[in-house]
Amino acid sequence: MPAVPTPILKSYEVTSVDRKEVLRYLGYRGQEVTPELDARLDDAIARCLSIGKPRSSLATFDIAGREELPDGTPQVDLKGTALVLQGKSMRRHMDGAVRVGVLAVTIGMGVERELKRLSLTDHLGQVLFDAAATTMVERAADAAEATLVGMAAQDGLYTNFRFSPGYGDMPMTTQPVLLDALDARRRLGITLSPTLLMTPTKSVTAVLGMFTTPQKSTHASCADCFCRAFCNLRATTGRTCHD
Amino acid sequence: MTSEPQATAAGAPRATKSVGTIDARKYFGTYDERRLRIKDDHLARVLAGEDFLLFDGAMGTQLQARGLAAGELPELLNLTNPDEITQIHRAYVEAGSEVVTTNTFGASAPKLGDAATVEEVFSAAVACAKASGARYVAADIGPTGSLLEPMGTLPFEDAYELFAQQVRAADTAGADLFIIETVADLAEAKAAVLAAKECSDLPIFCTMTFGEDGRTFLGTTPEVAAKTLSSLGANVVGINCSLGPKDVAPLVERMLPWSSVPVMAQANAGLPRVEDGVTLYDIAPKEYCEAVATMLDAGVTVVGGCCGTTPDYIAGEKDLIAGRTPTPRHVNHDFAVTSSQRLVSIPMGHVGVIGERINPTGKRRMKEALRSGNYDYVMQEAIGQTDAGAQVLDVNAGLPEIDESATLRRLMADLQGVTDLPLQVDSAVPETIEAAVRSYPGKPIINSTNGKQETMDAVIPIAAHYGCALVALTIDEKGIPQTAEGRLQVARRIVAATDAAGIPREDVVVDCLCMAASTDQRAPRQILDGITLVKRKLPGVRTVLGVSNISFGLPFRPLVNATFLAAAFAAGLDLCIINPMQQRIMDVVNSWRVLTGEDQSAQYYVANYATRSDKAPAAASAGGFGAKDAPAECPPHATAGAGTQDAASSDPAAQAKAMVLSGRKGPMPELITQVLAQHDVMYAINQVLIPALDEVGVRFEKGTFFLPQLMASAEAAKAGFNTIREANAASGTEVASKGQVAICTVKGDIHDIGKNIVKMLLENYGYDVLDLGRDVDPQVFADAVVEHHVKLAGLSALMTATVPAMQDTIELLRKQAPWCKVMVGGAVLNPEYAKMVGADYYAKDAAESAKIAAEVLGK
Repeated sequence: MPAVPTPILKSYEVTSVDRKEVLRYLGYRGQEVTPELDARLDDAIARCLSIGKPRSSLATFDIAGREELPDGTPQVDLKGTALVLQGKSMRRHMDGAVRVGVLAVTIGMGVERELKRLSLTDHLGQVLFDAAATTMVERAADAAEATLVGMAAQDGLYTNFRFSPGYGDMPMTTQPVLLDALDARRRLGITLSPTLLMTPTKSVTAVLGMFTTPQKSTHASCADCFCRAFCNLRATTGRTCHD
Repeated sequence: MTSEPQATAAGAPRATKSVGTIDARKYFGTYDERRLRIKDDHLARVLAGEDFLLFDGAMGTQLQARGLAAGELPELLNLTNPDEITQIHRAYVEAGSEVVTTNTFGASAPKLGDAATVEEVFSAAVACAKASGARYVAADIGPTGSLLEPMGTLPFEDAYELFAQQVRAADTAGADLFIIETVADLAEAKAAVLAAKECSDLPIFCTMTFGEDGRTFLGTTPEVAAKTLSSLGANVVGINCSLGPKDVAPLVERMLPWSSVPVMAQANAGLPRVEDGVTLYDIAPKEYCEAVATMLDAGVTVVGGCCGTTPDYIAGEKDLIAGRTPTPRHVNHDFAVTSSQRLVSIPMGHVGVIGERINPTGKRRMKEALRSGNYDYVMQEAIGQTDAGAQVLDVNAGLPEIDESATLRRLMADLQGVTDLPLQVDSAVPETIEAAVRSYPGKPIINSTNGKQETMDAVIPIAAHYGCALVALTIDEKGIPQTAEGRLQVARRIVAATDAAGIPREDVVVDCLCMAASTDQRAPRQILDGITLVKRKLPGVRTVLGVSNISFGLPFRPLVNATFLAAAFAAGLDLCIINPMQQRIMDVVNSWRVLTGEDQSAQYYVANYATRSDKAPAAASAGGFGAKDAPAECPPHATAGAGTQDAASSDPAAQAKAMVLSGRKGPMPELITQVLAQHDVMYAINQVLIPALDEVGVRFEKGTFFLPQLMASAEAAKAGFNTIREANAASGTEVASKGQVAICTVKGDIHDIGKNIVKMLLENYGYDVLDLGRDVDPQVFADAVVEHHVKLAGLSALMTATVPAMQDTIELLRKQAPWCKVMVGGAVLNPEYAKMVGADYYAKDAAESAKIAAEVLGK
């Protein structure tokens, strides 16, 4: 039997993505676009939204301690998991945190298969669909982040923002343990190549810190918060994550 | 990595009891049967579907309850805490489990790393399980955690080797059977089942895991899993994990008709939720067992539990089974083949269409595509045939000047990306057939064996071993028999051999071989009678025919083909190998289906033919090459004022340029045809298309265009070049290529967008592009460069982790192809990196790569 999950498994409805965001991934800088190209972009976005199935696995772990490895690498240790957070970026990101939220999210193998089909048949279509899919998985990661923010708020904690392996000096080698800690290979179907590349490629893993006091980096205003569409904190508890 | 010689043993029919495999040493020769090593009579009855078998429940839940940390390797506990593991097993045995499952789900070499060897873990785990006093010990084998090619990077044979190591370790340690479980990828399930089958003679249980949508993460349905895995030689197939028993029940019921072996289910105890830091599952034992009871009623005979289940659930199931007898099952014996996404079945009385187009014989463009390694045309033919109504695609890569086996495998991998139809492997070389069907995720058709002893000895064991359908040509050492009776005699001999090998009759498809009516007008009657005779005298076998030979040497061949096909259907033909993009042929198929009732209430026919008449033949509804995906394009006359002033001009050359600049491919064929009416080909290329592309390049560089615009323009230009090429083909002239460029995304990297953009642009500028694909081994790339004596290579890498693979490829090229210049590009590259890895050029974008090609190969 596979290891049993304590992590939470969630599906999200992502019904739209910001078209401007998709264009930004495509390197758009205000050029005049033909109606045909516009229509193809709309088509790619619509198809991606209908094929993509955003799902996430989430967990929180208390911070057990902080140490420095013999080679000087800072490390944040967590309770109840083999996952450790290494590097200066993590030392900074988790400075003062009491708990860590961990997420893995993917929009699924259907999107991957469509990308493969387009790579064999329609290269422009592949570029457009890829940008739409990147935007969509980031949107799904926003949703997963909103869930973690809500979990933190329930315990009176405040979060900062999500941070992914490969950024700063957070090692890519975090990936396998992080995925196993969330049982994400089995529950989400995320696989890892020997070069630590996730497939479906439109997947995101990340960690965020949870603190007893609001942080500068805490989601400050609901008006322009990227988690807003997925957050029901105010509706269910009458307060926001930064009150 | 390749399999060891003993690993390619063939055999193993799909009957449950007298299961045998072929002695490896006698492979490709005669074979004898070898019985499965079955521990006792009860297990033998289980494998025959006559007894129930009760597995255990979750291991992980129990470990979690004992404080296993998330992300830790639970398999190491077999070594460090054997007593605790045995305790868990024993609790299940006491609750009634006949089988306990070893704690080895993730015990593969890459996951264990340096912590322990696979052999140590299985040895300890089997010992822990045996100590519990269980009647049977099932060696648990989970997925590798990596994705197999072609979607991922793990080669099939590497996955096979990982599983084979586990199989050998488990067998040596004394396990009684294998449970391969929680698999989402049919290719991976196939690798694991083959490893178990070829490296051990213990029974194989194999379960896949499905989502609420009724598919695995990779899109496989329960029907596909059941048909493919039971044909391949799994002794029990089924479903585990992911869902609660109520959701598993309808899925496992879908498996039952398509599995020739017993079916099992191990559901989760519903969904987990966390309460006060404790994980709870929402379905209690009573409710769980109620759902299991419906599965037993439907015909499931092997049960247990997955995540969240405990000894309480097993005790409930034990009570459920007590005193009950297995529900009799009806197994479907339709002709059925599968891809990883789709099961195609042709019941008796229905007719099926196999698309014949992917075959170089007599097809200039297909030959060109296979020789050049540019498979765009092949993919178009696949999509066209799929859209036109083919149900299976024949794939043949038999050209003497290419590596048939490698080409066939690459084609089959790519084809899975563009069509979900099952494939028919068409080759005369047994080794090539075996290599192709071995890693194919699904149940393919093999085309073909014939009545020659040597061919039967070589091909029939492959079909039996890999559970494939098999085309049997009625030709033997003496040639094609003249008469229907003679064809039957050959078919009889072949079917005797397939029967002996354990291949079910419905998997054998006899081809009575079509001869030209123009050389012998008595031949058609004999072929038709042959079909009828074979169907009557060899009950259960199916028939197939490639019909187009019948009209050889006659004018207006489609008419003769269509008439003959109708006659063949009437004679009892089940499957035809045709060009489904020919309207007239599909008209016969579609109308025949009305006459036989296959097209119920003529729904399909009415929907598609209501507006048809001889006066209004259908506008090629078939063969809309990907047209489905393209939005409506403006006709040429409607483009005035849509962006560029040139479009208003009536000069087709100026209009064509404008279309390239605005990235509209729709009007291009018409405009270029007009240009060619006034000018020669060189004018169309050098005065129209290339200057337009140059302008596009300038605009892209200035930032006036962004990437999608550059590509839309490249598409438009490509449409123009295609028109020129067709005109050339018609007149028998050819434009000299400017030279060949080999490109790929390097080993370990599957990002191919940048590489694909480069390909588009280089092709537009008149270079032949040899596209080796993504995740390409350095040696494979170097071999291609050497073979084609390519003077310029382009390597792409998107990830830092794959830059070393780029360096390896370049080093290999320097040694083996010192003449070849190398350009590199991709997100992580910059001029310094390019220099560091030893490249000659750094291409910051696709436009730059075209400039480099001009410098190296000439404009």
